[in-house]
Amino acid sequence: MTDDCLKLTIYFGESDRVGRRLLSDVLLDELDRAGLQAAVLLRATEGFGIKHRLHTQRLLTLSEDLPLVVIAVDRRDRIEALVPRVQQLVEGGLITLERARIVTGPVTRAELPEELHEATKLTIYLGRAERALGQPAYVATVNLLRLHGLDGATTLLGVDGVVHATRRRARFFSRNADVPLAIIASGSGAAVRGVLGPLGRLLDHPLLTLERVRVCKRDGVRLAEPRHLPETDDASLGVWQKLTVHAAEDARHEGHALYLQLIRRLREEGATGATALRGIWGYTADREPHGDRFFAVRRAVPVVTVVVDRPDSIQRWWKVIDEVTDEAGLVTSEMVPAFHAVGPGIRSGGLRLARLRF
Amino acid sequence: MAWVWLSLLGGVGAVARLRVDAAIGGRSLTDFPVGTFVVNVVGSFALGALTGAHIANTAMFVLGTGLLGSFTTFSTWMFEAQRLAEDGETTVALGNLAVGIAAGAAAAALGWALGAVS
Repeated sequence: MTDDCLKLTIYFGESDRVGRRLLSDVLLDELDRAGLQAAVLLRATEGFGIKHRLHTQRLLTLSEDLPLVVIAVDRRDRIEALVPRVQQLVEGGLITLERARIVTGPVTRAELPEELHEATKLTIYLGRAERALGQPAYVATVNLLRLHGLDGATTLLGVDGVVHATRRRARFFSRNADVPLAIIASGSGAAVRGVLGPLGRLLDHPLLTLERVRVCKRDGVRLAEPRHLPETDDASLGVWQKLTVHAAEDARHEGHALYLQLIRRLREEGATGATALRGIWGYTADREPHGDRFFAVRRAVPVVTVVVDRPDSIQRWWKVIDEVTDEAGLVTSEMVPAFHAVGPGIRSGGLRLARLRF
Repeated sequence: MAWVWLSLLGGVGAVARLRVDAAIGGRSLTDFPVGTFVVNVVGSFALGALTGAHIANTAMFVLGTGLLGSFTTFSTWMFEAQRLAEDGETTVALGNLAVGIAAGAAAAALGWALGAVS
């Protein structure tokens, strides 16, 4: 386990360009050149940013410029070395840094540091073609996570990325068997500690990260409020928070798709942004792992919706999320120690890491 | 020459549709695909008016087939109905189809009547 690692997340638009090249291509080239442990480019299904314009796969014209999310993890010094270049490239969007621990290779010592005891977010990076126990490795992994009592897991399919410092990219004329996947799961510290050893035995070259979270809600049951964090740390560095909602595409609120209600309500109430990512396989709480069925019009894939904002605003968005997840969904909250938003005439936050003790 | 105009106005129609749809859809807060609906109803009205006014064949070819043919969209209407059904919004999906047909036919009839008078 490498303790001092960072997760860099970049939210931007599919049609953003740097000169004549697509920003997504330029960013992934940079991450590949840096030889990062893991990076995944994800294409969101719906979302909005600081300009409040809706981008969605539901309407043809509005699907021209879908939100993209890049997640990259490595040792702190290597991520920090990339940050200035990324800031220079991204002219509209959001960049965040979060603390993480990376676990690679055989997991021998399955002890978690104390701050991860309450609950842990476990992210597993795989190739889509990888197999385990005679099935796709992500299916076997999700089964294992559920068996060990994690509260939920969502498999997100990347379109480009780096896994173990090797570029894996989807192409138009290709089976795209080896594109990267990220499985995002959350559970109690004890459940995550229990699954690390078995995961190490299941996967050939496990690559995973551990982050601190709080599980706030599960299938309509409130477990804990998101922490009330101060707006700044002792050194006056800004503090941000993230709320994540895992819910199946067929989960409902007042007769409508839960994740769509969530995005709509957040946009109506004036949130600065929200992004929904559609997964391919996953579960929440006691439900069997699920994905799309072949002959069904209605989709049943898992969807992850993310909101990042200042702590006082997060308390407002928590109320919205709490209402919409009255029956289903898994809600987690995390601290985001560095946040940088860029837009036309907007430049807020910074990428020095805030530090809070809690 | 008519073919040149057809290509040019076809392009104009396509760009106009994209702009109108994006402007309406990006601000809309409902599930109903308003942008596509507006584009199709406006296009039906205009095509009705052109037909009612009995304009010359070449003008009809260029404006009707070229401009309005690319401005309106049947495929997007169907695609968005399918996406609504995927999200479980069966009522809105069927409503989109029914309201689209009713409003489109009404707009075309109104356009025809106005075109014939002028």
